[in-house]
Amino acid sequence: MERTLFFSGNEAIAHGAVRAGAAFACGYPGTPSTEILQTAARLDGIHAEWCVNEKVALETAVGASLAGVRSIVTMKHVGLNVAADPFMTLSLTGVNAGLVIVSADDPGMHSSQNEQDSRAYAKFAKVPMLEPSDSQEAYDFVAEAFALSEEFDTPVLLRSTTRLSHGRGQVIPRVPVVLGPRDYARDIGKYVMVPHYARMRNRLVLERLQKLRARAEESPLNVLEAGTADVGIIAAGVAYAYAREAFPKAWFLKLGMSHPLPYRKVARLFRQVSRVAVVEELDPFIEEQVRALGLPVVGKEAIPADGELDQDIVFRALEPFLSRRPPRRRRPVFPPVPRLADPPPAPGLPVRPPVLCPGCTHRAVFTALRTHRLAPMGDIGCYTLGALPPLLALDSCLCMGASIGMMAGFNQALGRKAAAAVIGDSTFFHSGVTPLIDAHYNAADGLVIVLDNRTTAMTGLQGHPGTGLRADGSRGPAVDIQKLCEGIGVRCHTVDASDYGVLEAAVKAEVDAPGLGVVVALAPCVLMVPEKAGEIVIDDERCNLCGLCLDVGCPALARGEDSVSIAGSCTGCGLCTEVCRRGALSFAGATGAGTAGEGAP
Amino acid sequence: MSVTTTVSLVGVGGQGILLAAAILAETAFAEGLDVKASEVKGMAQRGGSVLSTVRFGEHVWSPVARYADVVIATELLEGHRGLGLLAPQGTLVCATTTRIVPGSVLRREEEYPDDLPGAAAARGARLIAVDAEALAREAGTLRAVNVALLGAASVVLPFAAASWQRGLAAAVPAKILEVNERAFALGRGAVSNEEVGP
Ligand SMILES: Cc1ncc(C[n+]2csc(CCOP(=O)(O)OP(=O)(O)O)c2C)c(N)n1
Repeated sequence: MERTLFFSGNEAIAHGAVRAGAAFACGYPGTPSTEILQTAARLDGIHAEWCVNEKVALETAVGASLAGVRSIVTMKHVGLNVAADPFMTLSLTGVNAGLVIVSADDPGMHSSQNEQDSRAYAKFAKVPMLEPSDSQEAYDFVAEAFALSEEFDTPVLLRSTTRLSHGRGQVIPRVPVVLGPRDYARDIGKYVMVPHYARMRNRLVLERLQKLRARAEESPLNVLEAGTADVGIIAAGVAYAYAREAFPKAWFLKLGMSHPLPYRKVARLFRQVSRVAVVEELDPFIEEQVRALGLPVVGKEAIPADGELDQDIVFRALEPFLSRRPPRRRRPVFPPVPRLADPPPAPGLPVRPPVLCPGCTHRAVFTALRTHRLAPMGDIGCYTLGALPPLLALDSCLCMGASIGMMAGFNQALGRKAAAAVIGDSTFFHSGVTPLIDAHYNAADGLVIVLDNRTTAMTGLQGHPGTGLRADGSRGPAVDIQKLCEGIGVRCHTVDASDYGVLEAAVKAEVDAPGLGVVVALAPCVLMVPEKAGEIVIDDERCNLCGLCLDVGCPALARGEDSVSIAGSCTGCGLCTEVCRRGALSFAGATGAGTAGEGAP
Repeated sequence: MSVTTTVSLVGVGGQGILLAAAILAETAFAEGLDVKASEVKGMAQRGGSVLSTVRFGEHVWSPVARYADVVIATELLEGHRGLGLLAPQGTLVCATTTRIVPGSVLRREEEYPDDLPGAAAARGARLIAVDAEALAREAGTLRAVNVALLGAASVVLPFAAASWQRGLAAAVPAKILEVNERAFALGRGAVSNEEVGP
């Protein structure tokens, strides 16, 4: 333990993750982040995988976090753009085991197509950001980040930059963090971000931001370092090292946690000195917030807003400003705690959440899947409604395409088939193909069910590549989902979702089969098939109101006085006849199609 | 009439709230008024509560309003909910014979409310109860509940019959225009025959 190591920032992050008890790491290569995962892949105690892209990587890490394993995901700055969809909503759901996202910026664009500043994402998503300034901090801050992640139920961004990632420094190893088990517990209010739940989570995020700011005020990550000169410098990350070397006598507010900004610590620095500068690479991220407090600083008028800094640039930039007459002292004006909108009035009336349509074939899939003990990772579309009562058949909804990556991460973390993925056909083409490729490539176990209703139903029946229907109504080639899966190398069966027995058997076969498999549950959206498939009747004698049929959650079925009643909105899909164990529900007469008309016989 | 009049249409996704709102907007246009409207689509269309708002006047700024002068409800429970949107002395036009029972009531977790006249009186609202289902059936299709109800509401809205005609023609697809015109006329007739009140 006493041996001092000489690590690059990237190596330090990887070792720091293992020391923090992280057991799952993934990412997509990109300079200057790449060596983090490469290092992790060589270390014991952590499973590391390259993913197909950063979005899939983040979703996979989320799955591992849900499974109860501390997870770290790595990418270069522009990778966070690719992962932005899951990232922004992950702020709302929070995590189970800690989740740390490393985004490595590239000031000066040594090998990048732009110079974006990742700190904007911390503000955008209202999540904490840590900025190590050398290898030792890179190593130490990973454990801090995991602890914050779990304590505040949030993903944590760890920002690196080229000189941290590729610079080297001494690292004293620390005692490994010992973790208790974190079991997975389904919690749809936390993990299923349909509007109703998302609104509630969003309020928690806004409150969390205030609590994080209070933490930033007292955290030892943010240090006020006394100096001897009448000059103060606020800095984070490697810019701190440059400023420290350029102005050894200055006071410093060193921000290890640069978001949210500790306003009062900033004000304290201003009470110690009469001149303050902010030294930061790229955007005036800290500077703008300090100015908003009404405090005069020297910032981007002196420090270049593009490219890398070094101690020479910093010294030459600040020296003339610091020898000028100090600005007039001002009192800081702290921003008020933002008000939240009034919660909607509770009128004491029954709520009417959206529901799956009567006769919707997605319902049959949920009925079949519910009989198995797999955590069903959900996705976005009409079928997300399957997460709500009475079906309660989906555990998560993060963003479009997230289900498959989350399933893969969940199963990789536990080393068995513990989760399934449920995804719509339009969503599959949107962003379900890449995580399927990824799961196959990384040999993840799992069962993917594609709900193929031949349309994009949620948004109003638009076409997609699987149907070939184009925006102008013309027909193009239709991509065959089964062939696509088989082309990837994944086992795939297409079944008629309106034949419940066949569907149930196909799902069961895939649950029991080893490895990764796809079941395409095919049946057109009921909104596109207006004719009734048949007339369902109830045998009052046989019905004992056991409620099995009500559990399929069809709005056409209601609990009557002595037996179940069937409303006129019934489409005759027949799912209820399949689940009834007493033969009380059946098709009237022969199973004739097209018994149109409103009045049931 | 205040400078700007607000009409909120509430119901259950799939009941044709958007079409009714479109007819209302077109009718106000036909009167030469400025109109602003807003609706929530997407997830809410799947059998959930839906709300569409149409505002008209000489010049309308905001597309939304917390309170409406008239609420048109195509379903009884949504009518109850709609009372909460009503301005003082406002009017609720409700299809009181249309009940679409939500899952929580089916599962006996919550109770379907049963005294709309009482609730309306408690809020000081005027209630126009309409058997819109019967009217729609008489017109030729149950799907015209929305337009039958709009016909009933037309009695308390300041538009000429000719404007309503133009509104219907502009918003309703030609194929189903006739049956909707019938439903509208039946709705309008049903209310003027009953006591509308002051
Ligand atoms: C990034 C993103 N783009 C668009 C949407 C809007 N959206 C939600 S679900 C959906 C498509 C759902 O289609 P499908 O997967 O076929 O399911 P269905 O609704 O037909 O059951 C879309 C486009 C979104 N939520 N996120």
